[in-house]
Amino acid sequence: MPDLLSVEGLCAGYGEARVLNDIGFALRPGESLALLGRNGVGKSTLIRSLIGLTRRQGGRLRFAGADITAAPPFRRARAGIGWVPQERAMFPSLSVEEHLTTVARRGPFDLARVYDIFPRLAERRANMGNQLSGGEQQMVAIARALMTNPRLLLLDEPMEGLAPIIVHDLAAVIRRLIAESGLSVIVVEQHARLALSMTARAMVLDRGRIVHDGPSTELLEDNDKLGRLVAVAA
Amino acid sequence: MNALPGLLFDGLAYGSLLFLVSIGLSITMGLMNFINLAHGAFAMIGGYASVWFSHRFGMPFLATLPLAFAVAGLAGLIAERVLFRHLYRASHLDQVLFTVGFVFSSIAAATYLFGSAQQSVSLPAALQGQVQVMGVDLGRYRLFLIGAVVVLSAGLGLLMTRTRFGAQVRAAVDNRDAAEGLGLNVGLVFSLCFGLGTGMAGLGGALGVEVLGLDPGFALKYMVYFLLVVVVGGAGTLSGPLVASMLLGVCDVAGKYYLPQAGAFIIYVLMIVLLLAFPKGLGLGRPSLSRLPLSILVRRRA
Repeated sequence: MPDLLSVEGLCAGYGEARVLNDIGFALRPGESLALLGRNGVGKSTLIRSLIGLTRRQGGRLRFAGADITAAPPFRRARAGIGWVPQERAMFPSLSVEEHLTTVARRGPFDLARVYDIFPRLAERRANMGNQLSGGEQQMVAIARALMTNPRLLLLDEPMEGLAPIIVHDLAAVIRRLIAESGLSVIVVEQHARLALSMTARAMVLDRGRIVHDGPSTELLEDNDKLGRLVAVAA
Repeated sequence: MNALPGLLFDGLAYGSLLFLVSIGLSITMGLMNFINLAHGAFAMIGGYASVWFSHRFGMPFLATLPLAFAVAGLAGLIAERVLFRHLYRASHLDQVLFTVGFVFSSIAAATYLFGSAQQSVSLPAALQGQVQVMGVDLGRYRLFLIGAVVVLSAGLGLLMTRTRFGAQVRAAVDNRDAAEGLGLNVGLVFSLCFGLGTGMAGLGGALGVEVLGLDPGFALKYMVYFLLVVVVGGAGTLSGPLVASMLLGVCDVAGKYYLPQAGAFIIYVLMIVLLLAFPKGLGLGRPSLSRLPLSILVRRRA
């Protein structure tokens, strides 16, 4: 099967500053990838570079058979990249339902289906984006990305700042999406073990470069290696 | 004789015009952080369009109003696509210099096409003269102005709060990167907003010929007023500029009546006082946010 996403020699950052160096990897349809690494190694910058919100300083990107190297963010989103931004990026002046309908595109995910996945949002449909708990905001951010009917879902620290019980529920939803919808997923997560438990493959970044790429189970089973690469106790 | 009710009324009519012209400036400044001093030029284009259609084709005044909106809106759309969009990433000084240059070009163009004389419109008989309401003489045309602006503002409010286009505008104002990264063509949304805003300005220019006058210096003469509305009201909102327009209109008219020596200076005092009290604009209850959502005008109920 041809790759859904391929990244070649990507160098990117903000203005003159370079954060990512010579990043190269490919993702197949339906593949799930955990993006791990210490704070500040460029995980979120890589996600933002995939959606097109950083300054590209070199390299090429292909998605779904088309070259998207020079495509602006809205074209990448329309090509099928669904983005769940870090810190959720709510629109305070939009209601929950407007968050979903404003970005909706035709496909298997519609209002009925995302309300089925997140019943809580159906109850909250008239609330504004800034009148929600952190967990509800994260549900909106994921539901909103699903409404664009993506082929690749980018989750940038979806569990950040959430209570353990909510993390547990959200992780179950994400696992189900990966298993049942055929979506490709890239998830950035501080809790390495959680991310590894949700995905089939893991990539570790350090100082803007890929330093490890392999099956998630390999890192889950090798505590020393995981500790060396990511340095977390979780 | 008590002049206050009449002054209040004239001030509200004047404020209505200011709001109509300035609201587009508020939206576009809030959305793109683009300092557009040329906004008044589009009001002037609308005014001249109205005068031209009525003189050239003998069209009645009211029939020229939609054309004033269309001509100014189209002119704004083209100017944004061809000229202004290249300045969004430029410094504010570059934006100011460029748009002031645009104003001077508009003065030269208007002088070349229409001469330097004051223009006038012939109002239909129904809009001339006065009506007496509770013992106060009210100008029919000013009454019509206030009514027109109430209807237009309500329409704009509905557009912004009840339509998908309005939700896209609000999303882009709230968080441009997120809107863009979720598939909204923010550049196109902005162009349409710009065209809508300049169209409203053009309509204001046409309605204002009778009240504000119209000559080639229009855009320069009233530039400060339009900017005051946005600065005092806060960019990117409907309600802030609405309140600011009415305050400025009433204070300007009343100030010139009661304190003719201070004349046009009153509104600057007002601006200084209001900015000291509300540094981020009159945000109706939420002054801590620098960019107030447009939905404040019509609150959603849960």
